[in-house]
Amino acid sequence: MNTAEETVEYAAEQSPRLRWAEHAPEVYKAMIRLDAAAGRGLDARLRELVKIRASQLNHCALCLDMHSKDALAAGESVERIVQLSAWEESRHFYTEKELAALELTEAVTVLTDGFVPDEVYDKAAKHFDEAELAQLIAAIAVINAWNRFGVACRMTPGHYQPGQHG
Amino acid sequence: MSRTRLLDEEVGRAMSALSATAKKGLADPVLAELVVIRASQLNHCAFCLDMHLKAARRSGESEERIQLLNAWEETEDLYTEQERAALALTEAVTVLTGGTSRTKSGGGFVPDEVYDRAAKHFDEVRLAHLIALISVINSWNRLMVSRRIPPGGYRP
Repeated sequence: MNTAEETVEYAAEQSPRLRWAEHAPEVYKAMIRLDAAAGRGLDARLRELVKIRASQLNHCALCLDMHSKDALAAGESVERIVQLSAWEESRHFYTEKELAALELTEAVTVLTDGFVPDEVYDKAAKHFDEAELAQLIAAIAVINAWNRFGVACRMTPGHYQPGQHG
Repeated sequence: MSRTRLLDEEVGRAMSALSATAKKGLADPVLAELVVIRASQLNHCAFCLDMHLKAARRSGESEERIQLLNAWEETEDLYTEQERAALALTEAVTVLTGGTSRTKSGGGFVPDEVYDRAAKHFDEVRLAHLIALISVINSWNRLMVSRRIPPGGYRP
């Protein structure tokens, strides 16, 4: 196994298309402030599941690298992370509250197909009190912004250390 | 069940600060309105459309350029090459979900040709702020659509 691994030739790593935080440091600071505000009051593991799922839908490599590692660091299981992109078929890995949050994450992330259905919103509203729900929506909206920075600037994944950004 | 109107105060303040910073760095208020209107069309955000259509009209944007934004690719001479490059980037960065890397529309990623076209028209600082503006309006769209904030109330 070891010898096989040693001879694997991976594709070359690409540099980011645009080091946006260096060109827009005030924007980066504003994003960090927003991110801290949007996460308050939500369970850390739930927050990471939401961020991973949105990043899967938006295909953000850097965000997947970061939030999978943060989830593991927060005590999340590999199994639940692996199953996340098929959560509808693996519901027994998650609580009803987590499932409601994941469903809302998908509806709010895939807006170009239109709106957030009442049944999705109502299910989330049954499991989260109003303040929590507002923060959940904020967290989904904010990871969607990070995903767009990551994808548009083609930020390079693989180097994130858990907790790196506090 | 009606929807929450609640938005955490600090989240609201941080969103507003982020928007202002992105807009300032782009340094083109006319283009900024076109970008946020186009993203709001793609994300079907009624509140955001109402707000930014009013803001664009108030700042002197022409009715023709507002009306045809939904079909900007089919127009000639109505938008500058720089604006067209920014609108193409807005669409690619807004429609990230669905499909695979091979799907043309809604196919994920931001194609090199779209990025390169924008990079020809904007230096790196303005491009970073343009991407920021697209990202933040995408967040506003999500905050408003998910809470179903009604349009019509905005006064410029």
